[in-house]
Amino acid sequence: MPGDRIESIKSLFTAKSAKVETNKGEQYYQKLYAQCRARLDKLKSMAPVGSNIKIKEVIEEEGVNRRDFLKWASATTAMLMLPASFTPLVAEAATLMNRVPVIWIELQDCAGNSEALLRSDGPKIDEILLDIISLEFHETLMAPSGHQAEKQLEDAVKTFKGKYILFVEGSVPMGIDGHFGTIGAKAETFIEHLTKLANDAAAVVAVGSCATFGGVPAAAPNPTDAKGVMEVVQGKPIVNIPACPANPSNMVGVLLHYVLTGQLPELDSLLRPKFAFGYRIHDNCERRAHFDAGEFVEEWGDEGAKNNFCLYKMGCKGPMTFNNCSIIRYNEGVNWPVGVGRGCIGCSEPDFWDKYAYERPMANANIKAPTGGVEKSVDEFGLGLLTAAGIGIGIHAAASAIAGKKDNQGEA
Amino acid sequence: MKKGYKKVERMTGAMRLIHWVNFFSMIVAIATGLYIAAPYYQTLIAEPAVNKYVMAWNRWGHFIVAIIFDVTSIVVAYLYFFSRFEKPYKKVLPTAKNIKEFFAVLMNLITLNRSKNFDSSHSDSFNTVYFTIFHLLLAWMLFTGLQLYVHGLESGQSSIGTWWPALLHLATDWTIPVSHALVGSSGGVATIMDVRISHHATMWLIIVWVVFHIYYQVWRTIFWQEGDIAIAFGGSKFVKENDKAQS
Ligand code: SF4
Repeated sequence: MPGDRIESIKSLFTAKSAKVETNKGEQYYQKLYAQCRARLDKLKSMAPVGSNIKIKEVIEEEGVNRRDFLKWASATTAMLMLPASFTPLVAEAATLMNRVPVIWIELQDCAGNSEALLRSDGPKIDEILLDIISLEFHETLMAPSGHQAEKQLEDAVKTFKGKYILFVEGSVPMGIDGHFGTIGAKAETFIEHLTKLANDAAAVVAVGSCATFGGVPAAAPNPTDAKGVMEVVQGKPIVNIPACPANPSNMVGVLLHYVLTGQLPELDSLLRPKFAFGYRIHDNCERRAHFDAGEFVEEWGDEGAKNNFCLYKMGCKGPMTFNNCSIIRYNEGVNWPVGVGRGCIGCSEPDFWDKYAYERPMANANIKAPTGGVEKSVDEFGLGLLTAAGIGIGIHAAASAIAGKKDNQGEA
Repeated sequence: MKKGYKKVERMTGAMRLIHWVNFFSMIVAIATGLYIAAPYYQTLIAEPAVNKYVMAWNRWGHFIVAIIFDVTSIVVAYLYFFSRFEKPYKKVLPTAKNIKEFFAVLMNLITLNRSKNFDSSHSDSFNTVYFTIFHLLLAWMLFTGLQLYVHGLESGQSSIGTWWPALLHLATDWTIPVSHALVGSSGGVATIMDVRISHHATMWLIIVWVVFHIYYQVWRTIFWQEGDIAIAFGGSKFVKENDKAQS
């Protein structure tokens, strides 16, 4: 544990946070291309795990024509920050996504991330892909329950030991030895459940704010002592895809990157893929010009709101939030929070419920004062301190005026 | 000059320049900083966006004074150790002499100038410690501020080259875990919001610092009758000839 702490502190000094390299040079990409080609050829020769679905056919059946599919492939290539020459590889990788087994577990959560990929009206390619990847086990989606479900999980783990990607949705309640959350007929705690499955996984992908940083369950007073996956699982490659819900495009992106290159994407200091979390929402926001101009929505429904002014004064946290929703939006580019006229609540940042989601500018926020404990805004704290200093000074000044001794008046 | 009084130099021209540059920078930093945190005046809605650049000007002003603060801070840090006039670090070292002087000055303040058992002709330990606190607060503002600033340079590019964001990351990324420790939170993960909160809260500490600083210098001027307030303007104050012999 202390070793990991030191590591995590070290990593903060290595300038990994929010620095994105979009061009790594001709040589790098040539090498990567060859590597991907070899990887895809190898995957192609392998039989798909589980069902024998042909992804291409399914996509066509869902009403997506080839042109749309290629458009999606080039957009995804750009999202993954790969050169355009990789587009055919990405398209090919998409059709090979059922070669990588995935196990999806749910812990302390609302199943919102599963919903995000299931409930879009008319599934988009990202959702279709997530639907038909070889999802070996998904508690919410699968038909069996109880002992049967457990059996299926055991089988999946045995067959794909060391090969499957473990997707985790939901936080881990650490309080009372993990007994806030148990699962299955043997009442296994979430902690055991997660560590057991993570041990045999090739990599762990934490999806959603709860699985990454604790999310809403970890909000003050955090009764269950909820923690993110990366604070529980040790010694496994972990990718965090925060946001509430995580964007299906980013889930596909990570998986696709793995299928394509056999590696996890480049991560920042919070283990988030840089292709998705390298940029601040604010820096690619369509309302940014209004921010710079000082044109803000002052009240819901006012002239500013009608003119799509910046939502900063309504508490938009875009300036503090790293995510790609201002670039790729949700549901294949349909819209995103700021686009529909409400501020960003920073749902992809650690501690977002306490520190970002209060829908007021930070200066009016009821966040914990530096003293901890009492819910009190920083400004109230500051003003209080100033008042205290003022009173102290007033008392001292008054006392000095009445009883103070001026030099040069006394005996000297 | 009043008889029996002697003029002592306390601040060199350079020190006074820094003092007043800091004074004006501080006002600009607070006025613009508060606007950046929560825009407190509105722009004319009828005017087209291209003609107003209000937030951008505020941010511009904030960054410009930040850079001025950067430069004065580096100079001050240098003077702390290498000044040929008075090396302030000598006054903050916890030596027996300094500790004694520190409490003597504190007693002077508490007893409303009834006891004054120290030499007030040179910069005393108490004030030097107080100034050091200010410079530490200011340094913290600079590091956290630059950390917040570098968030907008995600591409690693800047108008002056890639070295600048790289340097900023190297120099300020540590403020994230430190702010987290200062601000505290329910979750265990440090976030850039902690840096923002700390940057904002530290502004209040600095305002409180300034308020006491002004009061204390005025109080000294009134009660010591040595013209302390003049130090910041003319660079010198006056002490009684025989006072110098004591201490
Ligand atoms: S709406 Fe939010 S993200 Fe967009 S410019 Fe305004 S503050 Fe930034």
